[in-house]
Amino acid sequence: MKIGTAVRDLETPVALIDLDALEHNIGVIADHYRGKTIRLRPHGKNHKSPQILAMQIAAGGTVGGVCAAKVSEAEVFVNNGAGNVLVANQVVDADKIRRLAALAKRVDTTVAVDKEVQIERLAAGTRALDATLGIVIEIDTMMGRGGVRAIEHAVKLARQASATPHLRFRGVMSHQVPTRRQPDRSARFEEGGRYIERVIEAKRAIEDAGFPVDIVSTGESWTYDVAATYPDVTEIEGGTYIVMEVPYAYMTEFRYALRIMGRVVARPDQYTAIGDVPIDAIAAPNGLPTLEGVEGAAVSAIDHHGITLSSDTPLALGIGEPFFLLSHQQDVTVNRWERMLGVRGGFVETIIEAQARGCVN
Amino acid sequence: MQRPIVKPVGTPVEEIDTPALLVDIERLDANASRLPARTRIEVWVHKTPAIAHRQAAGADAAGIAVRSIAEAEVFAAAGFDDIRVLRPLVTTTARKRAAALGKSVRLVLADDGVPLAGADALDGVVTVSSLVTSAPEPGRAILDCGQKAIGRDFGDPVIVCHEALRVSAGSAEHGVVGYPTDDAPLAIGDWLELKPADVATVFTLHDFAYAVREGALEAVWPISARGAF
Repeated sequence: MKIGTAVRDLETPVALIDLDALEHNIGVIADHYRGKTIRLRPHGKNHKSPQILAMQIAAGGTVGGVCAAKVSEAEVFVNNGAGNVLVANQVVDADKIRRLAALAKRVDTTVAVDKEVQIERLAAGTRALDATLGIVIEIDTMMGRGGVRAIEHAVKLARQASATPHLRFRGVMSHQVPTRRQPDRSARFEEGGRYIERVIEAKRAIEDAGFPVDIVSTGESWTYDVAATYPDVTEIEGGTYIVMEVPYAYMTEFRYALRIMGRVVARPDQYTAIGDVPIDAIAAPNGLPTLEGVEGAAVSAIDHHGITLSSDTPLALGIGEPFFLLSHQQDVTVNRWERMLGVRGGFVETIIEAQARGCVN
Repeated sequence: MQRPIVKPVGTPVEEIDTPALLVDIERLDANASRLPARTRIEVWVHKTPAIAHRQAAGADAAGIAVRSIAEAEVFAAAGFDDIRVLRPLVTTTARKRAAALGKSVRLVLADDGVPLAGADALDGVVTVSSLVTSAPEPGRAILDCGQKAIGRDFGDPVIVCHEALRVSAGSAEHGVVGYPTDDAPLAIGDWLELKPADVATVFTLHDFAYAVREGALEAVWPISARGAF
């Protein structure tokens, strides 16, 4: 594959990044945060690529670092230029805590906790390496996943972390998704604001107890503008906006930047085409992928051997012809690809390496 | 690429960095010995040459079957010389790659009548290990294994030895386990084995398979054809 190859001539299946759309999406948040104190902490899990992180940081409005879901993912981004990192997850085993502590000796590193025993384990690991690790308390606002359920518990953990050598209490974090499908702007501001206010409530309770807070990390792409209206919020953990996904279509200021391109390999009848995109190349945990730009046709099935495109009227896709798919959960699709091709105007312009693909440890 | 903490051969399975794709060698070999002879083994399921070699040796196989020319190239480089490609080749480039590969191996591009076997040869062989990272409220535990480590395209996993517990890998990075609030079967730091709903998906997520015998690490196998869609 040469730079300058026409997209229509690429071997398939292939993951394509529309560079115009990617740059547009990066620009939307950079423009919105210009002149404000709130910053974007780009989530690495959504693109897995230090190359894209560098574009986000260069555009401005970021913390100059990254958010990571896993320790090994954090390492990839720090090894490739991230100036600081927040691991927005709990880390409990001694080996991984050592790796986290080693990272903390290189750059400003913070990890989330929601239980006393995690703080004890982190303290033992950081002491062994004479490192200092930042601590944020994860607040559960709606996910029912990790995160403290009661604000008094958050205060208790803040007190424990503040009193523990080799740990530095930094603040609070939370992650949320909207419960309504395709919410309009007022519904977004109402629901997103409710979750953010809960995090701020925890932050103030911790400050009232005498522990200064310098990180309030909350929100996601769907509340990047909601969070910006709260002076208490220091950063949002934004990820999905970068290449977008179908269930996020209500965020109309962002554009689809990720497509999986496939080709038709068989035509069993005039209403049906079989394509060369197996389910493991795109993932479909959240509904079948969306077929783009073929009037009247849609994806009707996908398995490990390929994808079925169906239409009520005769389908005009011949064998060998390309088609394009949009993901319904972009981060799990990105995680299937070691590299994506950056395209513009119908031609390949760059190869985007995703070195953090597969970093589940 | 996956970046696990590397552990020496002989390490107890519970100490292998989680989440890890675990392969039970004894069950793998037992399943291989029961495969019908003179069939093609569907190696696209695991994409792992080391597993394919064990299956081929155990089964007296006639060859292997892969999905794509890219997978065929990986398995040819690993020493397999009779390879059927299941997907039709529709581009000039793919046909050129096939012609080039066909000079050194027997490449079969149409149904040659040799039956396929092996899609179920990994039954009971593969699990994914995981740690409990949080237990934030009664009746709930959070695991370090979510969709990106075990998949969800074909359903949720089951916890080995805790089959009654409800586990969801609906989150990309976390598993969420639910149980009655008056029970506390899991605690932070507990090690678990999860049985995936679909084995082929797991081999597309991980870059390494950990071969385990009698509870100890015996070998680390690269999943070399991962991503060769």
